[in-house]
Amino acid sequence: MIKISQLEKIYRTEEVETVALNKLSLEVKEGEFVAIMGPSGCGKSTLLNILGLLDDPDAGSFVFNGIEVAGFNERKRADLRKRNIGFVFQSFNLIDELTVYENVELPLIYTGVKPAERKKIVEDVLDKMVIMHRRNHYPQQLSGGQQQRVAVARAVVNNPKLILADEPTGNLDSSNGNEVMQLLTDLNEQGTTIIMVTHSEHDARYSHRIIRMLDGQTVMENIMV
Amino acid sequence: MFNNNWKIAYRSLLKNKFFTTLNIVGLAAGLTCFLLITLYVTNELGYDHHNKKADRIFRINTDIVMGGTELVMTVAPDPMPEILKKDYPEIEEYTRIYASSGSKLIKKGTTFLNETLVAHVDSTYFKVFSATAISGDLNTALNEPNTVVVTKSMAEKYFGTTDVLGKTLETNDNGSTIYKITGVIEDIPKQSHYRPDLLFSMDNAPYQFGQLLSHNFQTYLLLKDGNNAASLEAKFSDYVMRHVLPAAKQEMQINSMEEFEQAGNKLKYSLMPLTDIHLHSNRFPELAVNGNIQYIYIFSAVAVFILLIACINFMNLSTARSANRAREVGIRKVLGSEKSTLIRQFLTESTLLSYLAIFLALLATALLLPLFNDISGKQFEVADLFNHFFIVLLFFLPLVVGLLAGTYPAFFLSSFQPLQVLKSKFSTGHTKGGLRSTLVVVQFVTSIVLIIGTLVIYRQLNYIQTRNIGFNKDQLLVINNTFALDNQKEGFRNEILKLSGVIGSTNSGFLPVSASSRNDRTFSTQAAMTSSSGLNTQIWGVDENYIPLLGMEMKYGRNFSKEFGTDSSGIIINETIAALMGIENPVGQKLYSGNNGGMTTPYTIIGVVKNFHFESLKQQIGPVAFWLKPADYSMAFKVNAKNINPLLASIEQTWNKMAPDMPFEYSFLDESFARMYESEQRVGQLAISFAALTILIACLGLFGLAAFMAEQRNKEIGVRKVLGASVQHIMALLTRDFIKLVGIAAVIAFPIAWYAMHKWLENFAFKTSIGWWIFFVAGGIAILIALITVGGQALKAAITNPIKSLRSE
Repeated sequence: MIKISQLEKIYRTEEVETVALNKLSLEVKEGEFVAIMGPSGCGKSTLLNILGLLDDPDAGSFVFNGIEVAGFNERKRADLRKRNIGFVFQSFNLIDELTVYENVELPLIYTGVKPAERKKIVEDVLDKMVIMHRRNHYPQQLSGGQQQRVAVARAVVNNPKLILADEPTGNLDSSNGNEVMQLLTDLNEQGTTIIMVTHSEHDARYSHRIIRMLDGQTVMENIMV
Repeated sequence: MFNNNWKIAYRSLLKNKFFTTLNIVGLAAGLTCFLLITLYVTNELGYDHHNKKADRIFRINTDIVMGGTELVMTVAPDPMPEILKKDYPEIEEYTRIYASSGSKLIKKGTTFLNETLVAHVDSTYFKVFSATAISGDLNTALNEPNTVVVTKSMAEKYFGTTDVLGKTLETNDNGSTIYKITGVIEDIPKQSHYRPDLLFSMDNAPYQFGQLLSHNFQTYLLLKDGNNAASLEAKFSDYVMRHVLPAAKQEMQINSMEEFEQAGNKLKYSLMPLTDIHLHSNRFPELAVNGNIQYIYIFSAVAVFILLIACINFMNLSTARSANRAREVGIRKVLGSEKSTLIRQFLTESTLLSYLAIFLALLATALLLPLFNDISGKQFEVADLFNHFFIVLLFFLPLVVGLLAGTYPAFFLSSFQPLQVLKSKFSTGHTKGGLRSTLVVVQFVTSIVLIIGTLVIYRQLNYIQTRNIGFNKDQLLVINNTFALDNQKEGFRNEILKLSGVIGSTNSGFLPVSASSRNDRTFSTQAAMTSSSGLNTQIWGVDENYIPLLGMEMKYGRNFSKEFGTDSSGIIINETIAALMGIENPVGQKLYSGNNGGMTTPYTIIGVVKNFHFESLKQQIGPVAFWLKPADYSMAFKVNAKNINPLLASIEQTWNKMAPDMPFEYSFLDESFARMYESEQRVGQLAISFAALTILIACLGLFGLAAFMAEQRNKEIGVRKVLGASVQHIMALLTRDFIKLVGIAAVIAFPIAWYAMHKWLENFAFKTSIGWWIFFVAGGIAILIALITVGGQALKAAITNPIKSLRSE
């Protein structure tokens, strides 16, 4: 599903040049659950941004679903992104001014799903995430765990092939954290590919494979049993 | 502590350069506007106040309705004040101005110069009005005939010195009259409703004194201390009964006031305070162009609104930025700062800003003065910005503005709960935007009202320019003072007609523009004058060429013609007279004229000319008639020259040969016509300037607010983009709310603007409609401007890569 090779990303400021990704190669098969670990500044987030089609590499190849996407312009990337990828963030990134229902509905609006259909899909997802009873609440009125469940619901509502999770449990206590990890595992079992960046060895154990990064390169892979 | 406040204020302002600049520029623009308008308004309100007895001086106004004509006058009969003074002891003194004889030619060396600001005045002039004497005793200066008091600049103009007491001036009165200079005064202050240059003795006025029914003198009464004008005014009807009625009985066969009034007539005298004349008097004849109190109200309101808008910007930007300051407030509170300390800090900041702004505004005002003078027709100098009033204003205004604009943000910011803001759960969501939205709406209501006002004013001006006024004002050259040609008049006319580019001529000083000669007379529709047969009308002496040359049209009958020997007893009337007579086609009817009751001379109506506008379009078309009489003050030529200057040069050459003593003076009819609407032109220009400024300030605010909103919704925009929102979608999201506000503002502004402009148009007897399209255009302009202002910010936000906004989390 994802095949990247010799990927490079360099950030330049006036004085400093930081190599975020250094000729990195990686393959993720459909249905896999991959955890990416490494110390701060090792390039995890940069990799995730490129995988999520939010950013463009400076060099190298990125084949997504059989299509070479390196060099795609913003509009093409956005189009591919909204149909194929769901995001889960550490800080949830829900929109404060929208209700739970409206937050989850948003990706469907952007992909042009008709209102009647939207209602059905959103309600389905909210049901699955056991957050239906909170549908008319605003994010601030929910606990952290509930907020992340909404975020996951929003990530999957479009039925994406790939979910990218950036420290999904970073702002949660352990029981809420476990709950979210369980959700992701369930999704993976239903066939969704998941790539997760995490600092938590505990969370990483939910995955099939752990990729460890350092200074913009992969340094080790652990296959989980 | 106070010192610390200033330091923090300074640093905080420096740190947020963008918002500080927006705030200062916005406030400075508002203050500039406020200062300019204040300059104008205080100047207009200050007229005639330099007179030491200003509060005790009143002018007699006269209102007459007779024979269907309404006369609203500034003048009274010559014997009236003397009679009043004898009868009513509350009158301390009176003085009269006789300016009806027009300009005078004054000899300088061997040539004559034309002076227009001249009048014959009573010797009591300086007992009523204040003037600063340079030499001579003003109390007695005009006691004798053939005396004149001159201003300093006149003395310098004619003698090159102010040491002119006892010297003489020669005028063209009765051919030639010598006046002895018995006083020299400082020039009369600019803020006077009348600024004469030369004041001649009343004894030399070319007038037959003792006419109780003729109104020709501006008459000013000086009341004794503690007397009120209203109680004196109430006694005027008594004066009419005892003095005017007997004279009217004799001259017009009017037997009682009841009979006179029952026929729809009116005679009323009233008093107008001297200090009201400049702004409240809109009568005839005025000694100079007056102001208009309506415009003072409008401009004052505009000044206050513009300042308010600038303050609103300040509040908006300050509270909008609150999220950025929330953490600072939280930390200060945790460290033990009290709310009042914080309020003081924020107020210090706003006041500092306000003083910076007034400094800028003062600079801008000084730089804009020449332009403003041009538009307003005033002569302000930079020094006018530093009189006592303005120094006080310049000191206190920023304080008031700083407090006004700063108080709400100060209380708003200082009331944050530290724990909440430090836990970063603080959010300035839409709930806090209610007031900001209201403020934006207020700004745009003002802007839209001004846009509509400007459009309507220009529409009316355009209407005036393009309306069929009943004659052709173009290419008409008027040469004045043609009486100086004496018996060479025909020769001169023929010489000029020979010049190429000259098409025709007429011999008449009576022209259909306000600044031209006027002559009115009461005719009778019957051989004997009764209270209902009187017909007061303008009656102009013209020649056969007048009607065709001016492109007027006949409705009935014919123009004067040399072929009819009887035309000297013929008369041509306009449609208004026909309507007053109640006869559709009165050709062949007679109008009688005469003196002292005997309406002995009949004139036969030979034609009816279609109505034409001979006064401003503010007035209905009054009655006017023509007869074949020489009116040799001016001559008008129809010219059709591509290049007018060489033609004028040749005309002047001919003139100088035939009338060497008289300066060559000419005007173009269309220019005189345009001058009738000068004040409307001015107001139009001022309205445009103010509208532009208001919009500029409102846009500065909107720009800042949009920038802030984009910043605030940074995260939201990022999330939406990650979820697939397009650039257009984000743009729409960010601009929609603002456009909605402008839309609401338009809905509120429309009725206000309609009412205001409806009122303004009521000044005109002939007016354009307030077309619906004006509202659409104004609303469209406002929305377009808002879109452009907000759009840039929105686009910037929409094309930002979302990872930038989300990474900061």
